[in-house]
Amino acid sequence: MATGIDIQSVTKTYSRGGETLRVLDELELGMAGGTFYALMGPSGSGKTTLLNLIGGLDHADTGSIVVGDTRIENLDGSDLAQWRAENVGFIFQGFNLLPVLSARENVELPLLLAPLSGKQRREQAERALELVGLTDRMTHKPKELSGGQEQRVAIARAIASDPAVILADEPTGDLDRDTADSILELMQRLNKELQKTILMVTHDPQAATYADQTIHLDKGKLGHIEDNRTAATGS
Amino acid sequence: MPIRLLIRNMFSHPIRTLLTGLSVTIAVFLLCVLDAAIGGLDAAVSQASRTRLWVQSAVSLFVNLPDSYESKIKNVPGVEEVVRFQWFGGVYQDPSNFFAQFAVDARKWKESYPELEMIEGSLEEWEKARTNCIIGTDLASRFGWKVGDKVPLTGTIFPKSDGSAWDFTVVGIYESKSTSIDQLTMYFHYDYLYESLDTGAAGGPGGVGVFLTRLAEGADAATTIGAIEELYQNGPQRVRATTEGEFQRQFISMLGSVPTLLYSIGGGVLFAIFFAVLNTMLMAARERTRDIGILKSLGFTNGKITLLLVAEALTLCLVGGGIGVVLAILAERPLWSFFSAFIPGFTIQSNVIVQGVLLAAGLGIVAGLMPAIRARRLNPVTALRSEA
Ligand SMILES: Nc1ncnc2c1ncn2[C@@H]1O[C@H](COP(=O)(O)OP(=O)(O)OP(=O)(O)O)[C@@H](O)[C@H]1O
Ligand SMILES: [Mg+2]
Repeated sequence: MATGIDIQSVTKTYSRGGETLRVLDELELGMAGGTFYALMGPSGSGKTTLLNLIGGLDHADTGSIVVGDTRIENLDGSDLAQWRAENVGFIFQGFNLLPVLSARENVELPLLLAPLSGKQRREQAERALELVGLTDRMTHKPKELSGGQEQRVAIARAIASDPAVILADEPTGDLDRDTADSILELMQRLNKELQKTILMVTHDPQAATYADQTIHLDKGKLGHIEDNRTAATGS
Repeated sequence: MPIRLLIRNMFSHPIRTLLTGLSVTIAVFLLCVLDAAIGGLDAAVSQASRTRLWVQSAVSLFVNLPDSYESKIKNVPGVEEVVRFQWFGGVYQDPSNFFAQFAVDARKWKESYPELEMIEGSLEEWEKARTNCIIGTDLASRFGWKVGDKVPLTGTIFPKSDGSAWDFTVVGIYESKSTSIDQLTMYFHYDYLYESLDTGAAGGPGGVGVFLTRLAEGADAATTIGAIEELYQNGPQRVRATTEGEFQRQFISMLGSVPTLLYSIGGGVLFAIFFAVLNTMLMAARERTRDIGILKSLGFTNGKITLLLVAEALTLCLVGGGIGVVLAILAERPLWSFFSAFIPGFTIQSNVIVQGVLLAAGLGIVAGLMPAIRARRLNPVTALRSEA
């Protein structure tokens, strides 16, 4: 059930004011299914861009991205949207909850795309909120929640439809140390207990230690991969 | 649940939603009322009698013709009867109580108006005294007048020399079977007016405003009009003869260019509201750029997002438009009593109700599709970057 990700010679450029910016430069990267990866690198090194490409929010110029057994450059339009709904959960730094909906309704959103009854949707959303420890905040609107609680709702939303891959872009960037730690523990549990493949962008070396491995990206190319488990046990 | 999102979005800016919906209400209401007015005016012209000609001064409706013209017009081939018509312009208590009064030859007048029927009193009763008059059923209900009531009118064109009011007694009430003839007019004896002027009891212009000319059976209107106008081609006063339909049209535009003004302002307002609503909805959708990005990142297809945006705009416009239609139907009666003096056929047709609903639906679809097309092109990555 664990889904691996294979990045094969992926190039992505942006043109700005006449000059082209090579954000990802023939990147080669393989990620094993069921592993928790941290993605680090200087600002502008292409971390967010890579995440968006894997999640199918944007297209690579050349190269190939294979998630599980799906070559996502072959998908387009509604096929891609549907694939994303079934296979990928996004978590953002800014939480990105819909302000007009309650916590539970936000979590129910991706479930609208699955063939479920209203009752099933509700139950599944409540289970996801239970998993992130927010059973007592289900009817609250985002602005009635703390930052950490908002991010928990966003995580519940990302896992509600049980996708194999979770892509998180600086999920703890706006949170204080303690709150960040509890969110990171939660991510770790998703990986260990539910075998999710997680790719998490972070600037915080301490946050990266929660991941199994840390991928270092530099100027659109792979720097090196660090194994946190051996590093932790080896010291 | 998408319904819930739709409703929550609408209520997230309650004032804006309310004002936008209200704009659509006003637009649809306006459309219904304008159409009723236009339709009523058309009916007044198209259903006008083909056997009646109106002969007046070529200068203006306010310039009278000499009495002597009556017999000469009557001798024109094709003319069956000539009836004197004089606009009285009296005021009942207050100028705001405006209604039309005409001094006429009672018996000839009745013969020329087969569309009118006495529902109370009778022609015989009317002829019994010169201060007697008959009134339309709408006029009767407007002021609560009954047969036997005395109605004093202050002369404006024909003031009494001693400053007193003219006295009239209501002896009959008529009903109209044609949408081109109103039920809001008072008719009284021409002799009453004429003799008061002769004895000096009242002042004002002599002569006759209009000679209502009835065509003989089989007579051609155009030929007869030509012959009547030919009579006074070289003075002393040239006349203008028109069919009743043409006269109605002229009378309508004489009442200030109110209707024309109504149409152009109304049309302009309708147009302005349309764009204001569109603009507001586009702005509202633009504010939700980030939300659209979120939905896309969750795997919502362009089709689903389009559906959501269109459904939202459509709901708002249909609710607003629906209220507009209901208001128009409720307002038909009071508006009619206001307009019927010059638009007797003022009615809100069922087809304009359909048109109103279609206008609202069209507005909703356009207002929903335009941001949807934008959302379709929107890259979720860029959308998510935009701040809430
Ligand atoms: N839509 C775009 N148009 C033009 N340039 C872009 C676009 N998106 C990203 N870039 C540029 O691509 C480069 C990489 O951006 P990216 O967001 O992937 O960086 P990052 O590694 O996530 O940085 P950060 O740590 O600051 O989030 C940056 O220089 C950025 O300005
Ligand atoms: Mg980034």
